[in-house]
Amino acid sequence: MAPHTTLSTSEIGEKARRDLLLLLEGVRGKKNLVLEKALAGPLNLLVKVSTLQEYGVDKLFFLENDNIDSSQRNVVFLVRGEKARTVMAVADQIKRLRRSSQIDHEFSIFWSPRRTMVSDQILEEAGVLGEVSISELALYFVPLADDLLSLELEDAFSDLYLSKDPTSIYLSAKALMLMQQKHGLFPRIIGKGDNAKRLADLLIRMRTEVTAGESSNTNGPSFLGLTPSSSIDTLIVIDREVDYPTVLLSQLTYEGLIDEFFGIQSNQTEVDSSIVGAASQQQPGQNSGSAATQSQTLKRKIAIDAKDTLYSTLGDSNFAIVGNLLNKVARRLQSSYESRQIANKTTAELRDFVAKLPGYQAEQASLKLHTSLAEEIIKRTRTDTFLRTLEVQQNIMSGADPSTQHATITELIDRGVALPTVLRLLCLESCTSAGMRAKDLETFKRAILHAYGHQHLLTLAALEKMGLLTARSGGLGGGLGGGAGAAKPGSVTNYTPLRRNLRVWDDEVNEAEPNDISYAFSGYAPLSVRLVQSVVQKQQLAGLVKPAGQQAAAAAQGWRLFEDAAKHIRGATFNETQSGEEKAVKARQMLNGSGHADSGKTVVVFFLGGICRAEVAAVRFVGRKLAEAGGKKLLICTTGIVKGDGVVGAAVETGRFGKGV
Amino acid sequence: MSKPTANWEKVGDKFYRKVPLYKEVFDLDLELENYKVVGAPYSGAVAIYRDEDKIHSYRGTQGAKSSIDIYSCAGSLIRRINWDKGSIKGLGWSEDEKLLVVTEDGTVRCYYDLQGDFTPFTLGHGAEDHGVLECRFWSSGFVALLGNNHLIAVNRYDEPRPKLLAIPPTEPVVSWSIIPPAYSLSRSVEVILAIGKTLFVIDATDAEDRDFTAGPFQHISVSPRGEFLAFYTEDGKVWVVSGDWTEKLSEYNSKAKTVPKDMQWCGSNAVALAWEDEVHLIGPRSVATKFYYDAWIHLLPDMDGIRLLTNDVCEYLQKVPDVTEEVFRLGSESPAAYLLEAAEQLEKKSPKADDLIQLIRPNLAEAVDTCVKAAGHEFNIHWQKQLLKAASFGKSVLDLYSSDDFVDMCETLRVLNAARFYEIGLPLSYDQYKRLTPEKLIERLINRHEYLLALRISDYLHLPTDKIYVHWASQKVRVSIEDEESICRLIVQKLHGKAGVSFEEIARAAYDEGRARLATELLNYEPRAGKQVPLLLGMKEDTIALDKAIESGDTDLIYHVLLHLRKKLPLASFFRTINSRPVATALVESSARYQDRELLKDLYYQDDRRLDGANLLIAESLNQTNTPARIDKLKLASKLLQDSRENAFAAKAIDDTAKLLRMQDTFEKDLGPGFVGLSINETIFNLVKAGHTKRAAKVQSEFKVPEHTFWWVRLRALVAARHWNELESLGQQRKSPIGWEPFFNEILGAGNTRVASGFIPKCTGLSVPERIEMWVKCGLVVKAGEEALKAKNRPALEELRAKASGTAIAEIERLIGMLPPVRK
Repeated sequence: MAPHTTLSTSEIGEKARRDLLLLLEGVRGKKNLVLEKALAGPLNLLVKVSTLQEYGVDKLFFLENDNIDSSQRNVVFLVRGEKARTVMAVADQIKRLRRSSQIDHEFSIFWSPRRTMVSDQILEEAGVLGEVSISELALYFVPLADDLLSLELEDAFSDLYLSKDPTSIYLSAKALMLMQQKHGLFPRIIGKGDNAKRLADLLIRMRTEVTAGESSNTNGPSFLGLTPSSSIDTLIVIDREVDYPTVLLSQLTYEGLIDEFFGIQSNQTEVDSSIVGAASQQQPGQNSGSAATQSQTLKRKIAIDAKDTLYSTLGDSNFAIVGNLLNKVARRLQSSYESRQIANKTTAELRDFVAKLPGYQAEQASLKLHTSLAEEIIKRTRTDTFLRTLEVQQNIMSGADPSTQHATITELIDRGVALPTVLRLLCLESCTSAGMRAKDLETFKRAILHAYGHQHLLTLAALEKMGLLTARSGGLGGGLGGGAGAAKPGSVTNYTPLRRNLRVWDDEVNEAEPNDISYAFSGYAPLSVRLVQSVVQKQQLAGLVKPAGQQAAAAAQGWRLFEDAAKHIRGATFNETQSGEEKAVKARQMLNGSGHADSGKTVVVFFLGGICRAEVAAVRFVGRKLAEAGGKKLLICTTGIVKGDGVVGAAVETGRFGKGV
Repeated sequence: MSKPTANWEKVGDKFYRKVPLYKEVFDLDLELENYKVVGAPYSGAVAIYRDEDKIHSYRGTQGAKSSIDIYSCAGSLIRRINWDKGSIKGLGWSEDEKLLVVTEDGTVRCYYDLQGDFTPFTLGHGAEDHGVLECRFWSSGFVALLGNNHLIAVNRYDEPRPKLLAIPPTEPVVSWSIIPPAYSLSRSVEVILAIGKTLFVIDATDAEDRDFTAGPFQHISVSPRGEFLAFYTEDGKVWVVSGDWTEKLSEYNSKAKTVPKDMQWCGSNAVALAWEDEVHLIGPRSVATKFYYDAWIHLLPDMDGIRLLTNDVCEYLQKVPDVTEEVFRLGSESPAAYLLEAAEQLEKKSPKADDLIQLIRPNLAEAVDTCVKAAGHEFNIHWQKQLLKAASFGKSVLDLYSSDDFVDMCETLRVLNAARFYEIGLPLSYDQYKRLTPEKLIERLINRHEYLLALRISDYLHLPTDKIYVHWASQKVRVSIEDEESICRLIVQKLHGKAGVSFEEIARAAYDEGRARLATELLNYEPRAGKQVPLLLGMKEDTIALDKAIESGDTDLIYHVLLHLRKKLPLASFFRTINSRPVATALVESSARYQDRELLKDLYYQDDRRLDGANLLIAESLNQTNTPARIDKLKLASKLLQDSRENAFAAKAIDDTAKLLRMQDTFEKDLGPGFVGLSINETIFNLVKAGHTKRAAKVQSEFKVPEHTFWWVRLRALVAARHWNELESLGQQRKSPIGWEPFFNEILGAGNTRVASGFIPKCTGLSVPERIEMWVKCGLVVKAGEEALKAKNRPALEELRAKASGTAIAEIERLIGMLPPVRK
């Protein structure tokens, strides 16, 4: 019963990596690896292609392309087994290969993160179960950064809110359970949202189930590990449903904008090489941090992660100041470079300088890359559509009457801007004001059908199902006087009191030297992150909201900020404490020495349904403040990274009435 | 008490000892020489069966019945498995004490609990035709040699996947052995075959000839960790080669005329050769010692030594552990030896004790450690005690000593001695116990139905006890002849509230035994919803299974139940079952969307979800390839939504879609392709762009497109088509519903400053500076100057002067001049 080790994301990544390589090693000889596209990103984060080759992987295929050849006797599938569709695809391809190829293939399937009964059933029906060797790759969390773990479930958002398929909740619970088995129970689980509640219930249920039996099956840490953790403080679960607006808004951090314009997939973005130049210009070997493998096409892949020192300062900054930061770095590089040039003194100094040269060059390359990237982003943010969109967003979030924005939105539709952009605005209005007025909604719906085609009847239906775009309820007769208050409490979010209680809108935003999370959206402080703050940063938040003097007393008396705020937000609210058996707890305390301070403890924030990058920046900001104040750390976990286009994109019908379906 | 060194034997410079474990092991009538004997690893059970190759005397009906008998090491019969299933070609144990029986036809039976329950599987790969000759086992798998020299490997028993290894040559195999995957270089099982005079190494992909000429090799043996290989040549020599084949380490000449019946490694540093009643133990550097018995001897190799089994005795042959040697070796001058001596003197109340302690004072801590460790390796309880006493004495002298090791060792020894007791018959060595782990020991005890001891040990070592209870209860359910109610009561009474007890397993045992009612009753006590599902399905409690699956939150489980129900129930009752359960409905919907749209349609129809049904039809319409088919689907959709007021909007939109499609069809007939599938705005755009203004207007009026939209679309279309004249003529109109600014911007964006500038004066709603800006954008600085002059804006003018060039400078100067002079 060793004391719980502290949470480390790299350890999780390392374990996943080891598991994968061990499995690969288990298949003797050279093999072809067939990947589900959704797993390519996580895989890329874990191992390099060269490592895979060392472990005998000859060629990589995508399951979706259905083009596996028979060049190797061993064929290894690495796929998720949750969806019947994928399983069927695997079964079909095995059958196809078996028919068409002369070689007697050896098939292996690594189900990730677990082998399912349904997959067995389907494989059996397809008649292939008997001849494939099946293993599990328990790939749950993948570290995207030191403080960011993601399950990388691409479909989590649409599954949860459109199909109402709770698979991702279950997988999240499993992943968190693993964390608990390693580090002990979360002493407190607190959160907001119906699905979040379901997750918490599952966690509690799983805990009793683990103590109820699996203890002796796993020969690792047994249920003795299930005492409250000494390294984790709280688990905060935020359901995406609670706070749609944050993901619908345009992200204004550097990283957020890269995601908005170019898209980031598992820390990798693809940018046209006409913008950033071809990768070959950089010296190979030195750019492993900034530029990864380059494909032959005109797109260039750029790795987005904090290992690049320059990027680590840029990524979470508001885009408004990125230019300045780049300038500063450029000047510093220039000056240090020149000073060395002139001061060619002793050989020792020279050697020192030469030793640092590669570092300079790498930094130079990274600087060049990000400058051109930033220039392109500036170009795009100066367009009329972007500015108009931003204006509408800012007005809606600051509490202006949404109907004043309708003219602009109508104009955007008339101008034929991209559908997701328009939908984001409409959904934003609907979400912040508890639905749109039925008449307005109908007008907009008609306008969208006219402008983008009638197939979007399906899109609109899907958006309504997700609760993103709805008519205001609660007053069929007097729809006009209704307002937000008419709806049932707990079913919609009412922003009016929140703007006051949680200061969701910050008029005195400071983008250059942020003093509040509102910097990430230039004014809007993400509701989700405010909720997190109301749990971990009660005092500071109270200080923000109320004039000084008053709040000190209020906070000291355990002002229930979270509960107060949660009243106005849709979805269930919960706050559970988990305590272990008394004896075990005492033993743990003895081991750790009693009266430990909070320092070094981790608060785990789980965003169910996804988190967007600007939001990550905001949470990190809170984390930094926490670290400065008391030494607590924040760890962000999520089902996947999302962005507004993807959120409404889940609903958008891609089929057309055209001829070429 | 005999000296602990009494059974030591010197082999070269190392000592080996033969620890007597049990006496009077087997019935003397049992002719052990006619039996094949295999022992499970870690001093586990011993399985014997009559060797079919040997003639045996007829003993009436009793003896004729063939069976596999499982004994403990102490010779008590655990289980007799009657055998009438064909000729046994392979008998072996796995690490977790599963007995594997391979018959000639390639059938493998895996007896997993020492109690005769088994799971069968077949080897395939031609095993039934060529027959299995022999098998070699390792801790978690085995390799079978077929009649045609093919080799089939099985790597695991929970999901056996027999694999054919590379094909070796077909000449007869003299002898063979395997290197377990854990210790081979390739990390998969390797087989060494002696064929002719040489050796072949075979793995999954290659059969490699090692080019030996000294063969044929009569015996091959691989050391427990694969670091050495031993070969017995025909001329009676034993070769030892390093595991990577690089070095020949030693050669020993046995000078024996007959080939020994067995050759095995004893730990990793000695090789034992066995003839009928004689054993040679060959240590490093080819020195050997010989043991003689008066009965037929069997070698049961283990990870750190060999168990020797005759009718009469069971002995354990191992290298004397270093610590033991340090303490007990005659004339040892190690501190530990002195400490032991001191303790003995102390018992005699002799003052010498203190002298001795003082002598080893500086090394006392080390001496204590050694004594503790040596106690662990000691089988004799007397000497265990002596050593621990010595350690205890030593540490009482020390000021600072952590007693953890001492306490652990006392615990371990208690457990070991309990397990070694002849009624249990698990003579584990200390190393074996550490490798086996206490948990596995408990499993072995459970399989022997030694529940009480298992419980005691678990409690003593703070291990989970749930499995013991579950096993006990399952056994109870199977064999008890009491009525169901009292069994249930008894079990619940004993087990309720015990952490981790799986009632599901007990219930399954009850169900398998045909006691369905008992099973249901027991299942109610199972806390894990997910666990109950498969059994419930098996018991045909479908709806309860579905509810439990939903409760568990595991979608896989829910799907599993749903698939089952879908196959079993008529559609209507399937829907009835799911529609009161939203999660189930959602899952059915989302999976059916990709696989079974008809099912979805039926579902929506049954639930009267008209809008969803209509949407499904729209989706289908999208998939059609021609307009009439699409319109048919849309009509169906529209019909669904008729006469319901709340769906009026959707119904209207669907009708509009059909209308639009028809219109587009006519456009295509008249004007050529490129219309079907466009939205209304896009249609107008294309029409305007191609100059069909009238038709565009018709579309507008038909679908009541708002004026502002129409203007915007027309503007964009005209700009895209570069119809400047028409744009200019539009500019003649008095008013525009979208203002004139968009005209300016769009045209300027297209690069035509001349036309764009024509719209500036019409933008009356804008401020002067904005208009100046517009003029400048068109490159007309002078015009901008005039604008500024009109507004009497001197700063703006001066700013313009800076921007101007050529003649425009003078022009601006002139305009500035026209301003009223600045008053000082």
